[in-house]
Amino acid sequence: MSEIWVLVDTSQGKIRNVTYEVLTAARKLKEKNGATVAAVYIGDSAGSIEGDLGKYGAEKVYKIENPALKEFNPSAYAHALSEIIKSHTPEIILAGNTLQNQDFIPRVASKTSAGLTLDAIDIDLSSSSTLQVKRYRYSGKSISTISYHDVKPMIATVRPNAFKPVENEVSPEVVSESPDIPSQDNIKVLETKITPKERPELTEADKIISGGRGVASSENFKLIFDIADSIGAAAGASRAAVDSGFVPYEMQVGQTGKVVSPNLYIAIGISGSVQHYAGMGSSKVIVAINKDPDAPIFQKCDYGICGDLFEVIPALTEEFKKLS
Amino acid sequence: MGGFSLKILVIVRQTPDTEAKIQANADNNGIETSSIKWILNPFDEFAVEEAVKIKESSDAEVVMLTVGPERSVEVLRTALAMGGDSSIHIKDENFGDMDSYALAKVIASKIKSIGDVDLILTGKKWIDEESGQVAIQVAEELGIPQATLATKVDVNEASKSVKVQSEIEGGQRIVELTFPAMISCERGLNEPRYASLPGIMKAKKKPLEEVLIDSIDIDELGLTKEGLGSEGSRIKVDSIEIPVIKRSLKILKGGKSDMVQADEVQKASDDLVKLLREEAKII
Ligand SMILES: Cc1cc2nc3c(=O)[nH]c(=O)nc-3n(C[C@H](O)[C@H](O)[C@H](O)COP(=O)(O)OP(=O)(O)OC[C@H]3O[C@@H](n4cnc5c(N)ncnc54)[C@H](O)[C@@H]3O)c2cc1C
Ligand SMILES: Nc1ncnc2c1ncn2[C@@H]1O[C@H](COP(=O)(O)O)[C@@H](O)[C@H]1O
Repeated sequence: MSEIWVLVDTSQGKIRNVTYEVLTAARKLKEKNGATVAAVYIGDSAGSIEGDLGKYGAEKVYKIENPALKEFNPSAYAHALSEIIKSHTPEIILAGNTLQNQDFIPRVASKTSAGLTLDAIDIDLSSSSTLQVKRYRYSGKSISTISYHDVKPMIATVRPNAFKPVENEVSPEVVSESPDIPSQDNIKVLETKITPKERPELTEADKIISGGRGVASSENFKLIFDIADSIGAAAGASRAAVDSGFVPYEMQVGQTGKVVSPNLYIAIGISGSVQHYAGMGSSKVIVAINKDPDAPIFQKCDYGICGDLFEVIPALTEEFKKLS
Repeated sequence: MGGFSLKILVIVRQTPDTEAKIQANADNNGIETSSIKWILNPFDEFAVEEAVKIKESSDAEVVMLTVGPERSVEVLRTALAMGGDSSIHIKDENFGDMDSYALAKVIASKIKSIGDVDLILTGKKWIDEESGQVAIQVAEELGIPQATLATKVDVNEASKSVKVQSEIEGGQRIVELTFPAMISCERGLNEPRYASLPGIMKAKKKPLEEVLIDSIDIDELGLTKEGLGSEGSRIKVDSIEIPVIKRSLKILKGGKSDMVQADEVQKASDDLVKLLREEAKII
């Protein structure tokens, strides 16, 4: 029977939410083609992950384990997965569009002569054997519908938050694999630094509050962090705020920063340039706080307050705090 | 010629300007390009800058390479004006029909034929396709290691290796790659210079090699003629739509002027929270 694979993403030993989202997406395809949904772990030691994966409908769990896979290395991971693909020939492979997956899946596609699209916002089957995905191009400015043609496997990464995880408990069969990994002499990891995050990741957050040039200083960004924390939101910024040195580049939202699509995006002291909008225009609800009634952002948001952010934000933060 | 101790190749691409208004073409399977202004992909600027910086502090030769139609020669001129030594234009008038799998094979095959390339630099993604896969697939085709999203690059000429600091999920990582190696560049790596007037003048005299896409031995690459065009692509764009999200445009303003005044801020905040809760049902 044909299989749909879902790669398991972990972070500090825990399965990340995006894995459950993608398992839910895979079940949508299964309804049409009846394939078996399998979760695929790659690493040094899976532990008993099958329980959690089974909750979201993984009928099979492949554990690809090898001590050489302890630390992420794109060539080694690509080798491991490609070997297992060649022996089990899944038709469709899905994975979260995480930085790690983006770093090695293109190699897998080359090794297995697969079709690949990254960062799908929706997936479907247009016939029993043709995968069809939707993805943004030109940041948020257009959406393409893309079909795969006479190619196997068909691989796609799926944007975090694009699917809501829905439980559907089954009890998975476990398959263990331990492929040989050729030594990787040409790449050596010298150091990995994980900075404990105070707030959700921008690309995965369902609420984001961003500050722009109007926030005026690095110190004032405390206002943005405080209001973000009051509703558990991620904190972002416009390029002007980054270029002015208020906050680091990791926080930049836009065509040359992070492209995000949360349920709620609040833009504070941001005018709403084409490039900023290209990175957040697909958000479900957009709110703007700006003192200029003619700011372009007021022409493309759902709600707004025309006022001085230094007066509005403290008051709004207090109101948000009352909600919890 | 010859005698350089380091050869760096920079892969660059021409993309629409970030201000460009994107509209669907008549067939609805691509964008309307007639009124678009084209620029050097902003992320590729970091790659060009880094290559030129390395050249300034070592004995390196910097070669620029692009694939695209006639007009894309402009990005080679820009990159040469920033300080590259020579350039290669793989000409493809039907550019855009090729999928990234085929594109990576074409680029890798050209790099193989140049030989002795130590370091390949490119941007982390194209701002148009947003795909982020070509660089990695070129590395795979060449059998060389890669570091993506580089924010710091430290070349060691003597040991023929490079240390790269990259963004990873939730943090940073430093890897050491042995040449030949591929690096994709992230913002923050450097501040790209502007092409100076003398730079632009000099660029006009720098070598530009043109290669017709048809002259590349695609059988060798495991591709068919169709594989280079839309017919044989593994993936194909069926349609393109311009998302129009209707926004409610409910802006709370002041009683006396557009701006809410200090004594109106409390009410405006209350009202906004109510709208988000009861109408948008989002908090
Ligand atoms: C190639 C290229 C790529 C780019 N990529 C990006 C990108 O990825 N992301 C991005 O954001 N930009 C990007 N830009 C930059 C973009 O063009 C704008 O310059 C930038 O988005 C402006 O940021 P801003 O809205 O914070 O600043 P401004 O446009 O200066 O707006 C500041 C706003 O704050 C308001 N304000 C000021 N003080 C107050 C106050 N006290 N209370 C309330 N409101 C106040 C003002 O009314 C104004 O509307 C890019 C540009 C180029 C050329
Ligand atoms: N047609 C092309 N010609 C030259 N380089 C390209 C071309 N297409 C993509 N690239 C390079 O590949 C990089 C990454 O592309 P991608 O990984 O597909 O987003 C870009 O920043 C370019 O430098």
